[in-house]
Amino acid sequence: MLRKTAAVWAGKATGALSRITRRGGGTTLPGDVARAIDPKILTRLAEDLTHGAVVITGTNGKTTTARLVTWLFEGIGQRVVSNRAGANLIYGVTAAALGKAGTDGKLKADWGVFEIDEASLPRAVEEIQPKATLVLNLFRDQLDRYGELETIAKKIEKALSALPEGAHVILNADDPRVAEIGLSLPHKPTWFGLDDLAVAGEQLPHAADARTCPRCGASLLFDAVYIGHDGVYRCPNGDFARPQPDLTATDIVLDGFDSLMLTIEGTRIAMPLGGLYNCYNVLAAYATACSLGLDGRYIAERLKTFRAAFGRQERIEFRGRRLVLVLSKNPAGFNETVRTAVELARGENFLIGLNDRKADGTDVSWIWDVDFEQLKGRAKLVIPAGVRAHDLAVRLKYAGVEAQPPETDPGKALDALVKQTNEGDTTYLLCTYTAMLDLRAELVRRGWAQPYWET
Amino acid sequence: MKFTIGWLYPDLMNIYGDRGNILTLLRRAQWRELDASVVELQRGRAKNMDDVDVFFFGGGQDREQALIYEDLREHKQDQLQQAVKNGAQILAVCGGYQLLGHYYQTAEGERYDGIGLIDVTTQAGKKRFIGDVIVQTSIEGLTPSTLVGFENHSGRTFLGPNARPLGKVLTGKGNNGSDKTEGAVQSMGGGIIGTYLHGSLLPKNPHLADHLIGEALRRRGDGALSKLDDSEELAAHGWILQRAQRR
Repeated sequence: MLRKTAAVWAGKATGALSRITRRGGGTTLPGDVARAIDPKILTRLAEDLTHGAVVITGTNGKTTTARLVTWLFEGIGQRVVSNRAGANLIYGVTAAALGKAGTDGKLKADWGVFEIDEASLPRAVEEIQPKATLVLNLFRDQLDRYGELETIAKKIEKALSALPEGAHVILNADDPRVAEIGLSLPHKPTWFGLDDLAVAGEQLPHAADARTCPRCGASLLFDAVYIGHDGVYRCPNGDFARPQPDLTATDIVLDGFDSLMLTIEGTRIAMPLGGLYNCYNVLAAYATACSLGLDGRYIAERLKTFRAAFGRQERIEFRGRRLVLVLSKNPAGFNETVRTAVELARGENFLIGLNDRKADGTDVSWIWDVDFEQLKGRAKLVIPAGVRAHDLAVRLKYAGVEAQPPETDPGKALDALVKQTNEGDTTYLLCTYTAMLDLRAELVRRGWAQPYWET
Repeated sequence: MKFTIGWLYPDLMNIYGDRGNILTLLRRAQWRELDASVVELQRGRAKNMDDVDVFFFGGGQDREQALIYEDLREHKQDQLQQAVKNGAQILAVCGGYQLLGHYYQTAEGERYDGIGLIDVTTQAGKKRFIGDVIVQTSIEGLTPSTLVGFENHSGRTFLGPNARPLGKVLTGKGNNGSDKTEGAVQSMGGGIIGTYLHGSLLPKNPHLADHLIGEALRRRGDGALSKLDDSEELAAHGWILQRAQRR
């Protein structure tokens, strides 16, 4: 116990120091320090939770979904600890738990709601022993860092199989790779999926990757495609098919990045969130909260007042221009944000930011799987920005999209935006993680936005 | 004039943004007023490959690679060999490169036979080589003489006497991390280039893309290509060179 308290104190002191010295939000370093003193610190802190923890993983949608679940718990007066700033490795989760621990070393919260990087899920599940585990989707992402999709999927399968009966597992039935995991588990998971052909496409985009039958290897047939390889699919030989969802979202109405409406279990839900990907996030949060005993009607009512997470679809006013910041970090996510901006929001001005730091993925070849062709003939202004702006410029050239000269400096990219747009114009900033941080930091420096750990 | 790109297993062997290589070949041919098209060569009995000028064979995950392994030998090997003899070009990246070699040997010593179109062998290595690569190419007449890309592989590939390296590694690991070579080039009527470079490779190396198009068109004429404005492509190429110098 003494060791735990010492670890908590050391971690908390590190966090405070890191904020005072302005070295960042103190979102992971405290975790490093505390774990060095007590390697079991996260398990010990998780045991302090009054009710337990929810862990959320998947390539896209973790942050928003974790925020949704947190919002739902907070609405019934529960104290929630969550790793808000997108620090989703085990150190970030540990740091978040430390942040809510008292001087007695005890974590003071009723629920933990943690978003976990796909590759870190097995370890998080083992250390936290969550009441509910949610897997949103498994798309191709940052191959340089984590190895390939298949390796990660196998590890997740193993971790979920080891959970005791009674621990809830909530899975996306529309994702073939996630479904394969769920069908091999010893206990039946809760399946969720979209059920609205009006918002579906028929063809797989290039970003699709899990599309062969796990049993016979045949290419899967898709009756509907929602996002990437997520849709309604079946093996032509009858060896594998989308599991029947326990919860569905129907009658979907999308209005750009501003709002969406959908029906779950007969209840109409309106949300101040946009894009088809957020329909999955809302449905997943609903399914998770339901499995933990929350009432469906309460959930629908509470969701209406939700606010989006940092950079997910944040709006900032900048010298009379409206900026909509949308994190776009891999082909499946990028295709959806571009589609939402172009088709649903009728966006005309774009600043696209590509960095290749560790958190973005050092391999940028995935930009060739993004359908930037969607911008052709529709976008009036496209500014390639970020450390790898030159690669983006080449990608846009081969997509037939006319773009401005690439700007690797965030300040110059923003200056170009001001020069090329008028007051009142809306520009969509579609960026990878650190490219978003760079642009945001520049906006903070110029006094147009708050530092991210204060939002 | 017609120009046909043959994309081997586009849905299974496309892990590293390989569409970039296809798009680059296609657009650069179209910008020269060539009647360019892409033929997708899926699993199963192959379409006629005689008309293909440049084949592209990318990398895949282990699971997908296992799915095409038999198909490559049963339905593609003979026609590929014939096409190259008749002057076609092949660009193979990563997994595709390994499968065109003689074999891939796992850490346990188990051997998976490739189709032996190119004189290389590959062994599994422990550490994955991941990062930027800069190569001083041995292909004559390429300007600039560098190739830039990104590698991510654990295979260690070694060249036999019939293959020569695509180039010398200036930054990164290349074929095996020990002999400073990257990739392999082999000629037999047409030519084969195998490499670990993706990123995608051709968009930032337009000179290599033109080399493939030009060499393939030689059998129908002189293979000379008009010059294009490559300032964006070469700026992206140059940016990688500059960053390597700063590091």
